[in-house]
Amino acid sequence: MEQFLHYLSLEYLLLGIGYTVIITLWGLALGMVGGAILAAMQGSRFKLLSTISRGYAIIFRGTPLILQMVFVYDALPLVGIRLSALAAGAVALAANEAPFIAEIFRSSLLSVGQGQITAGRALALSPSVIRRKVVFPQAFRNMLPAMGNETVSALKNSSLASVISVHELTLRSTQLASSTFDFFSVFFASGLMYLILTGIIAVGQLTMERLFSFEKSVKFRARHFRPYLSAESDSRYCDQVAGALSVPGGNASGIEIKNLTKSYGSNTILSGLGMTVEPGKVVALIGPSGSGKSTLLRCLNGLDPYNGGSIRVNGQLVGRTEDGRVFSEAEMAEQRRKMGIEMVFQNFNLFEHLSAIENVALPLVWSYGVSREEAFDTAQALLDRVGLSERYESLPSQLSGGQQQRVAIARALATRPRILLMDEPTSALDPELVSEVLDLITSLAQTGNLTMLISTHQIRFAEHVADDCAFLAEGRIVEFGPAHDVINHPKMERTRKFLAMMEKTQ
Amino acid sequence: MRSSAFLGHVFGCGLLSLMLCGTAMAGSLADHPDCKALREAYPELSGKTLINAINPHTPGYEALDPNDPSKYVGFDIDLGESIGMCLGFDVEYKAVNFASLLATVQAGQADMSISDVYATSERAKAADFITYSKVFDGVLVAKGNPKGISGINDSMCGATAAENTGFVEVPLLEAQSKKCVAAGKEPVEIQLYDNNAVCIQAILSGRADTYINDVNTVDQAVKAYPDKLEKATAVTLPYQIGIAVPKDNVRFRTAILEGLKVVQKTGVQKELLEKWGLGANAQVEPEIVVK
Repeated sequence: MEQFLHYLSLEYLLLGIGYTVIITLWGLALGMVGGAILAAMQGSRFKLLSTISRGYAIIFRGTPLILQMVFVYDALPLVGIRLSALAAGAVALAANEAPFIAEIFRSSLLSVGQGQITAGRALALSPSVIRRKVVFPQAFRNMLPAMGNETVSALKNSSLASVISVHELTLRSTQLASSTFDFFSVFFASGLMYLILTGIIAVGQLTMERLFSFEKSVKFRARHFRPYLSAESDSRYCDQVAGALSVPGGNASGIEIKNLTKSYGSNTILSGLGMTVEPGKVVALIGPSGSGKSTLLRCLNGLDPYNGGSIRVNGQLVGRTEDGRVFSEAEMAEQRRKMGIEMVFQNFNLFEHLSAIENVALPLVWSYGVSREEAFDTAQALLDRVGLSERYESLPSQLSGGQQQRVAIARALATRPRILLMDEPTSALDPELVSEVLDLITSLAQTGNLTMLISTHQIRFAEHVADDCAFLAEGRIVEFGPAHDVINHPKMERTRKFLAMMEKTQ
Repeated sequence: MRSSAFLGHVFGCGLLSLMLCGTAMAGSLADHPDCKALREAYPELSGKTLINAINPHTPGYEALDPNDPSKYVGFDIDLGESIGMCLGFDVEYKAVNFASLLATVQAGQADMSISDVYATSERAKAADFITYSKVFDGVLVAKGNPKGISGINDSMCGATAAENTGFVEVPLLEAQSKKCVAAGKEPVEIQLYDNNAVCIQAILSGRADTYINDVNTVDQAVKAYPDKLEKATAVTLPYQIGIAVPKDNVRFRTAILEGLKVVQKTGVQKELLEKWGLGANAQVEPEIVVK
């Protein structure tokens, strides 16, 4: 063991570290390229591509790396591909890493909640903007721990390149042990070298995680948008909100729904639903769970395509052309933007990586061609209006449910909608937080030039806020009329029963 | 100074061997008329750098120089570089597992392999061999030979032998094991490893009772651990050590063969055998082993 320090500083072994690092970095870099391709192929619509991707993963995850190394090094030359030892090692390592990295990519993409993607669609963001601005930044942050892990494992796996004569640390230390007969000193020295390398990776991973945390990123970006915020927003409050809610062309939109049908597989949700909403009216949708309230709202802004019948906004067909062709996602985004249809969700669906003010401002910049300065100005005014002037830079995870829902409402309003759909906006809130959101919606309803459809279980709220009320059951409108009448003097037995039950529980 | 530095590079000679080798001999090999004729006959090798696949875990034949680990030293190294000097090529090394030596030559990742490989007819299916040395095996055991092993015979029954994957001793021990079982005794248990160092460790750690390999390797191990290891006995095997070259390249094989013949004729090989303590009588007239 007395030779331990000597080996630790031996140039021969230190150069071995160099080869270890080179083969690891190449293996990882090429593995990430391969992993991205495999992940994309697996998510492809074309069955052949996804099958090839799966087959590749089965083979390369299912066989030992040491065999793959020998194969690339000794078998490929038989078909005319002769790589150097270092290149063969890097290629084999990359080929082996690719399916593991593909899984990391896939799982970190999937870890970005579907709700945020739906919210992005409802905000009329194009699919590519949703990918670049919403999904990728969060997926990148989410994959850092797993990638750190994978880097350590690639570093250790690189030692297997010793079997194909790559002069990395393991090969050099075993040869040195053979020639010196000093087995333990040599291996303790090389073991310590590996520990130092993996230690560096661990520190690098933690640094990256801290650097790219949502908190740090928000603080970093805040330096750029703070100058846009005005100190005395209160003085301009009225103008701004009036501006934010004013509708180009002046009038709210009317909606006409005829004989609407929608089913998921064999499960029929809407069966011949019809309803007319006058411009500027507020309509409450009530009814038991599964009666089709949410589905109706999702069909209204094209999140789900309907099967039959029609939805018209100001006479224009939603989600398809007059001859029946269903819009692509990009066309649908365009229509939502033009028609000014916005939506507020039960689970808020804020973009988790953005601060409150960015959630409101950035969709305007991304999709509506609004300048950053104007967007943050508008966002500031709206957050003040919903009572969140102290929380501009808070992340959604740092806000209560009620505060998140108020940000979500501000985000929807920022695009100056003419139709606002609300899908059980208070159902996910703790009881003591419900009223702050209901108050906000009530004041919105009173501004007048916004057509609103609100699905809710808050019967008293519905009566108070809505002009009209629709009672849905089994995919149809059972009863429709002025909210006060439907709720207090229901004509239909089915409505009466439902309301009596709701009265008991509330 | 210039010539000794040159020699140090070519032969990896220490000070002692430098006196043994002598400046005249090394110089004369390149200048030897037979070598000149060979370089004219095989101009395609002159000035080339050929790759020699080795398993550098066999001190005496091929291993790192403990004093300068950037170099390989040993009899096989010197022999290959002497042939190279005669034919006009330089040698670079590719270190692989013992079991991968022939595959590396087969795949074209190396031009030849001079790495203490016994030229058996089984191995000749993978590569052609040009033999250069006799085989003497030593039986390495723990100090005091507690199991009383006296060779590849019935004394091995019930013993555990460490061997490297691909060694010719493995089938010999397997055959002995069958004999043991037939005689109603315990079989020979064989542990397979990747290199000499691990096999020697297996005896030091008590996992194995014996390791049978080239006698020089065994002697080196005893020299390194005189208190813990000893050589029980030496055995002769019916093989010779050979240079592996690719099959189907008769011209290259013949060039190496002719180069080796000059190295022997000039007495260089015997000098080298003495230098590395292998004994000059190990030299054999080169033979081609093909299958």
